[in-house]
Amino acid sequence: MRQETLRRIISFGLLLVLLLVFGLTTDKFFTANNIYNMLRECSLVGILAIGVTLVIITGGNDLSCGALMGLSCMVISSLLYYTELPVGWCMVIALAVSILGGLLNGFCVAILRIPDFIATLSTKFIFIGLMYVVSIRDAYGSPTTQSIKNSTIKWLGSKIGSGPLDGMYYCTIAFIILAIVVQFILKNTRTGTNLYAIGANRNSAEISGISFVKTKMSAFLISAICAFVASLFFLGKSRAAEPGGGVGYEFKAISATVIGGCAFSGGRGDIIGTVIGVLFMRVLENGILKFGFPTQTQQLLTGIVIVAMLIFDAYYNEFMVERTRRRSARLREKEAVK
Amino acid sequence: MKKFLAIVLALAVVMSLGISAFAADKDPYTDELRIAWIATAATEANCTAWGNGIKNEAAYWGNVTVDTYDGEKSADKQITLVNDCIAQEYDGIIIQTYNKATLTPAIEDAEDAGIPVVCINMDSDAVCHGLVSMTDYEAGAVIANKIAEALGGEGNVVVIQATPGAARGINLEAGFQDALKAFDGIKILDEQSADWNMEKANTTMQNFLTSYPGQINAVFAHNDQMAEGAGMACQTAGVEGIQIWGANGETKALEYIEQGIITGTVYTNCYDQGATALRLLMMYIGSDVDISDWDATPVIKMPPITVTKDNVDTITADQRW
Repeated sequence: MRQETLRRIISFGLLLVLLLVFGLTTDKFFTANNIYNMLRECSLVGILAIGVTLVIITGGNDLSCGALMGLSCMVISSLLYYTELPVGWCMVIALAVSILGGLLNGFCVAILRIPDFIATLSTKFIFIGLMYVVSIRDAYGSPTTQSIKNSTIKWLGSKIGSGPLDGMYYCTIAFIILAIVVQFILKNTRTGTNLYAIGANRNSAEISGISFVKTKMSAFLISAICAFVASLFFLGKSRAAEPGGGVGYEFKAISATVIGGCAFSGGRGDIIGTVIGVLFMRVLENGILKFGFPTQTQQLLTGIVIVAMLIFDAYYNEFMVERTRRRSARLREKEAVK
Repeated sequence: MKKFLAIVLALAVVMSLGISAFAADKDPYTDELRIAWIATAATEANCTAWGNGIKNEAAYWGNVTVDTYDGEKSADKQITLVNDCIAQEYDGIIIQTYNKATLTPAIEDAEDAGIPVVCINMDSDAVCHGLVSMTDYEAGAVIANKIAEALGGEGNVVVIQATPGAARGINLEAGFQDALKAFDGIKILDEQSADWNMEKANTTMQNFLTSYPGQINAVFAHNDQMAEGAGMACQTAGVEGIQIWGANGETKALEYIEQGIITGTVYTNCYDQGATALRLLMMYIGSDVDISDWDATPVIKMPPITVTKDNVDTITADQRW
C-alpha cells in the first residue's frame, strides 16, 4: 500500500473515531441541523484551505489568504454601500483585487525570492491595512460596519429549501465542486504535476524544464481565487464586512491542510486530505462544545488534539522514510547476492 | 434595590409593548433548561462579571444550566457559536455581540428557530428579545462634561478608541463628541485605536506624549483597560496633571483612581447586569411571547455611576468586578 494512501486511511479512521465518540455520547450530534451547520463552517475554511494546499504542496505557505478574503468582503461591502453598482460588478472588482493580491504574493516569492513566510506575512498586513482604508465610515469618520441588504448576498448565505439536500448550505455545494475541480487539476494536469515537482525537489524540477516562477505564481493565483470564492460565502454568512474580518482564518486553513497530510516541506498532500483535515477540525470543535467543557479548556483541548495529530504525522513520516530506506537496502543486498 | 429595579424595568418594557403571555413550550420553574452565554472574550473582567452574575442568578433557579462560550474577540467566531447553539437546541442565548452588523443574520436565525436571545451591552441590527446595556452615549457625554469642567472649558484632548466598528466605541465617541460641541475651547488633538487593549493603549499614549509634548490636558479612553494603559504611560514618562478617563468601572480602574493614576470612570454593576439579562430571558421562556411584530429590541439601561477619587469608596468590595 502506498504511503499516502495509508496516511489517508489513518486520518479518515481518526475522523470516524471522533464522529463515533461524539455521536454516541451526545444526543444532538447526528441531527440534520447540526451536520449541515458543521458542513457550512467546514466549507468556509475548506475553500480557503484548498488554495493553501496548493501553496504548501509547492513547499511554501500563504499567511495572507485570510486577510485577502477579508479585503475582498470589504471591497464588495463598501462598493454596495457607497455606489450604485450592481452586485455582479462589485464581485468582479473584488475578484480583480484578489487576483492582484495573489499576483503580489507570487511576485514577492517567485521573482523577488523572498521566503513565503515573510512575504505573505508582509502582504497580510498590506491587505489588513487596505481593509481599513476601504472600509465604510461613520458620521465621525471612524471605520464601521453596515448590514448588507442585497438579495444576492443574502442568497449566498442561505440553504437549499427543498429536496433530498433540504437544509444544506450553498457554500457546502461550492466547496464540494471546488474540491473536485482542484483535486482533478492536481492529479490529472501538467499544472498539478509541476506543483508537486517544485515542492518535492525544486532544483531537479527546474533542470527538467519546470518553471519555478510560473508554478509559484499559479499556486498563489489559485489561492487568491479561493480566497475570493470564500469571501462571497463569508459575506453571505454575516451579511456585513468588518475591518479585520477573516484575519486568523489562514491558521485554520493551514492547520486543516497539515492535519490532512500536507507536508510543510512540500511535494506531499492533496485536496482529499485537506477535506478530511477540515472535517476533523470542525467535528472536534463542535464536539467539544457539545460535551460542555468549561470555556477555559475548550481551546486547550482543541490545541492538544491538533498537536497530537501533528506529532503522529511527524513520527509516521519518519517511520515510513525509515521503512522505505530499509526496503531499498534489502533490495540492494538481494541484487548483490544475485 | 438595584435588582428589584431591574426586574421592574424588565417587566415594564414587556408590558409597554402590549404583549400577552401564552402557554410556554417549557416551564421555566420545573423543566431542565440550557442557556448559552456567549461573551466577546470570556476572560475579560466585564465578561467574567456578567458570566458570574448570570450563573449566580441561575443558581437560584436550580433547573438552569449555563454554558459559557468564548467569542475570542471575533464576530465570526460568535456567529459560529450562535449557529452551534441553534443546532444544539439551546433554550436561550445571552450574548454580548462583538459587532452589531455582523451578528445580525445569526441572531435572526436563532430567533427564527424559536430560541430567545437577550444581548448584553451590545446587540445587533436584528430585533431580539432584549438588550441589557451599560450607558454608552450618555457615558461619553458625561465624561466630556467632566473633562470640560476640570479644564475650565479650555484645553486639548486625545482619544484612545475602541476597535474600529465596535458599537460601544462608536456610541461612546458619539456622546463624547456631541457633548464637546458645547465647548469651543476644547480641541481633540488626535484619536487612535488601541483595540480595547491596555498594552496597545500604553504604546499609543507614549506616542501621543512624544508627538504633543506638553500639549495634552486630557485623555478619553473607550474602556478602563485602555485608560489604565494611558495612566501607566503618563506615570512612566513622569507627566502629571493630565485628566484620564475610562469607562466600565472594573476593579483595577477603581484602584487606579484611588492611587491617582487615572482620574475617573463611569461604573456599572456588571453582576447585576448579567443577572438582569438571565431574569429577562427566563421571563420570556416562561411567557412564550411572539416578537415577530416588534420594530425594535427593548432596552434596559443599567444605572451608571460616575466615579472619581471623591466617591470611589462608595463602590464596596462586593460590587467590584
